[in-house]
Amino acid sequence: MTTIPTLVITPSGAADAYSRTAGGGTSADGSNSFGAAITQALGQAVQTGHTADDQAMQALSGGGNLTEVVTALSHAEMTLQAATAIRDRMVQAYQDIIKMPI
Amino acid sequence: MAGDLNQALDISATGMDAQNTRLRVIAENIANQETTGSSPGAEPYRRKTITFESTIDRAAGVETVRVKNIGVDSSALPLRYDPANPASDPQGYVKLPNVNTFIEVMDMREAERSYSANLSVMQATRSMLNKTIDLLK
Repeated sequence: MTTIPTLVITPSGAADAYSRTAGGGTSADGSNSFGAAITQALGQAVQTGHTADDQAMQALSGGGNLTEVVTALSHAEMTLQAATAIRDRMVQAYQDIIKMPI
Repeated sequence: MAGDLNQALDISATGMDAQNTRLRVIAENIANQETTGSSPGAEPYRRKTITFESTIDRAAGVETVRVKNIGVDSSALPLRYDPANPASDPQGYVKLPNVNTFIEVMDMREAERSYSANLSVMQATRSMLNKTIDLLK
């Protein structure tokens, strides 16, 4: 089995990252910021998509293992759904703040 | 966590892979159930057997299944009186493969059911993941 990178965001990790941002404790290089965590997670999501693409192309050309194609596509689908759901949440939060009457 | 659910998907996939190989071996047995030798007294096709073993995926820390060994059934070969066959011995008997169609068909059913069970685990896992992601929406 090829190992497929998956999107793993733990609630505790997200809470840690958020508390750092909320406390104004953004590090200078941004390596520990909430943005960096999201960037890393999205990078993994894109990588999962690429793996699924590779497997699907192999299946289309008659090669590859069908169960591996199915699992790769499942992982990619779930990762994409999670990524879009989290993105929607973030955009909604920004919009809520922007529309806030001052 | 989502990690466990993703691992469950991978484990079910190894189970399905193992049953795929089992079905391939059964197909070989059924296809060769009339394969006799080509020279006098030659050995015919012998039934193949398959065994599984659990293996630890060290990267993920989970126990998956894989095919341990594809062996040969060494049980007695049935004899048939057929002097016209090129594989017949001086007494006119031909050694036939020790493949029993009923056993193979039962094995096939079992492989099919086991595959379905793994598929059900996969469907349940996907449904759980979907429901969890729906919470975010």
